[in-house]
Amino acid sequence: MRKIWLIVKREYLTRVRTKAFVWGTIAVPLFTVGIFVFQIIVASKQPDHSLKIAILDNSGGLSTLISGGLTEKLKNGQPVFRVVETIERPASEESVRRDLLAEVRQHQLDAFLVVPQDAAAGTPAEFHTRNPGELMLTRSMNRAVSDAVVAQRLESRGVAVADVTSVVKGVDLKLIKITRWGESVVEEQMFITAIISGMLLYVTLIIYGVATMRSVMEEKTTRIIEMLVASVRPFYLLSGKILGVAGVALTQYLIWTVAGALVAGYGATMAAAFRPDTRMPKIHLPASLLVYLVVFFLAGYVLYASLYAAVGAMVSTDQEAQQMQTPLTMIIVLSFLLFNVILQDPNSRLSTILSLIPFLSPILMILRIAMQTPPFWQIALSLALSLLTTIGVVYFSARIYRVGVLMYGKRPSLLELVRWLRYT
Amino acid sequence: METTDAVILEGVTKRYDSLTAVGDLNLRIGRGAVFGLLGPNGAGKTTTLRMIMRILIPDEGSIRVLGRPLDDNTQDLIGYLPEERGLYPRMKVRQVLVFLAALKGLSEDEAGRRVGEWLERLELKEWADKKIIDLSKGMQQKAQFIAAALHRPPLLILDEPFSGLDPVNAVTIKDIMLELRNQGTTIILSTHRMEQVEMMCDSICLINKGHNVLSGDLRAIKKSYGKNTVRIEYTGDGHFLDQPALVEHVNRFGAVVEAKLKPGADPQEILKAAVLNGTRISHFELMEPPLNDIFIEKVSEGHA
Repeated sequence: MRKIWLIVKREYLTRVRTKAFVWGTIAVPLFTVGIFVFQIIVASKQPDHSLKIAILDNSGGLSTLISGGLTEKLKNGQPVFRVVETIERPASEESVRRDLLAEVRQHQLDAFLVVPQDAAAGTPAEFHTRNPGELMLTRSMNRAVSDAVVAQRLESRGVAVADVTSVVKGVDLKLIKITRWGESVVEEQMFITAIISGMLLYVTLIIYGVATMRSVMEEKTTRIIEMLVASVRPFYLLSGKILGVAGVALTQYLIWTVAGALVAGYGATMAAAFRPDTRMPKIHLPASLLVYLVVFFLAGYVLYASLYAAVGAMVSTDQEAQQMQTPLTMIIVLSFLLFNVILQDPNSRLSTILSLIPFLSPILMILRIAMQTPPFWQIALSLALSLLTTIGVVYFSARIYRVGVLMYGKRPSLLELVRWLRYT
Repeated sequence: METTDAVILEGVTKRYDSLTAVGDLNLRIGRGAVFGLLGPNGAGKTTTLRMIMRILIPDEGSIRVLGRPLDDNTQDLIGYLPEERGLYPRMKVRQVLVFLAALKGLSEDEAGRRVGEWLERLELKEWADKKIIDLSKGMQQKAQFIAAALHRPPLLILDEPFSGLDPVNAVTIKDIMLELRNQGTTIILSTHRMEQVEMMCDSICLINKGHNVLSGDLRAIKKSYGKNTVRIEYTGDGHFLDQPALVEHVNRFGAVVEAKLKPGADPQEILKAAVLNGTRISHFELMEPPLNDIFIEKVSEGHA
């Protein structure tokens, strides 16, 4: 046992002190947060000047309502859209369209809207713009057109409405999930929490699986393995290595959790101080989910790491390692591809079955837990099946490892691997 | 007998599929001596050493080290310098050595103290906190030797300990080996360099194709061959040795030749031929055959 501890300690300390660990610890959350922030920025990007638009109205009457509905303002108080030209029921729609198109191309206009004759019946309006990716713009335009059509319909039924938006505004549906112990509110944040949890497992399983493989390869290619197996049983060596790398991963999790809590707490305080009305996105991260994250990470990690270690023991060069690890990585990627199945309906029969299958279960079960915690027996069964598989996998991996680390040269064929398993 | 032997192999066999790496090998290695394990490439030396180290488990036969059957604890009694060298390239010299000694059961404090002494002795003191990768090949070699000997094992297995060392360092390592031997350490030396074996080993075992083909006390072995070789240093014409009636074969090393005589041949005849030939002789010695010749003879017997 003392020897395993020495192996764990060396593996842990040499890894935690590397630059790769420091950068990985900083980069992964930055990257994740960065993607979210980037999307928010892109989605809410405002132009820096008013957009000159024209409305080609084939219906007659709608253009006034639409212009009236385009009330959005830029930060400097200017309106977002300035309607510089309105053409109602032109004699030749074709020639007007051609002219407008030319004006947009010559930058005299930024965009133009075409309202069809029977817009009230539901025929879509067309918004011709150079930048269809500016979601905020298209959304306000869409709302203005919609509201105008609704107002016209109401008017034709004898209801005069000044502010359509406040009339058609509905009521949101708040989802409340009944569990065995009580009721809990299902919020949109749960999706975000689930995706973040799943991504975290996905990324760390691959990173630390490959790290274990590299560590085995390093000892093999530098030939220090001969010194090690002259002192320690290969199985202890393998166990120590896997535990040491797991320790590094858990340290990283701990840092992320503490840093995340601090940033969230600080951010909330700052927001409350400066903008009391700000609605902070609530991060739905119960302690039980954190515990499950650690449990399922460890379950998945030991399973995959022992296989990655076996791959590391089989190969002698980086190219071989690249080839041999691909099938393993593909299985992890498969879990990632199945994210949608779970997110769409975490309690469907398909989701339930998928989250019980070893190799897929660590990532998929954590998604289900984050979305809507499944019955405890399913979690327990999923863990038990995973554990049984792990025992079998470790048994074979340890044998391949023991023979492989002392074999140099060509990587073994499948037949040779079977022979390795039989060596005593 | 058993208590005096450091290592006993009885009927040890190790097979890889159809290949028998070591077959029914019997071997006794006495305590407190330098023992040479010799053999051509692929003879099964490394496999034998790995079995003694319990890196490999024999298919048949038994191995006892220091009077005990092999288990996890016997590994700690053995220091090992493998032929395939290697240390963690990105770890510091001191850290690696303490780690490896701790794996052999030494406390880390004690290992740390001894590392200092060893580094001093092998002139690596300034390199203690450098990474292994920054060391020259010779320095790495010395560090590896420290790793084998640091926990003061009663049995030390050294596979080609002098390869990669310059003459000065080779002498240092040789002196340390003999010093350890005098303190009671048993040393198994595996090498292809026969002159090293002749200088250092008390007894030897020559294995070929996994079998023991010659073993025993080195002096006794050489004596059994008798003084059948002449060693001659000369200047001038060397044709005086072309005498198939007297000479079985000749090893030429430039100015020095070693000629193995036919049984019953009189060495005086060769001297006479040299004088008649006008060759100047500066050294003429009748001696036992060098180990190199015995090695080649025994190994080629096996191939015949």
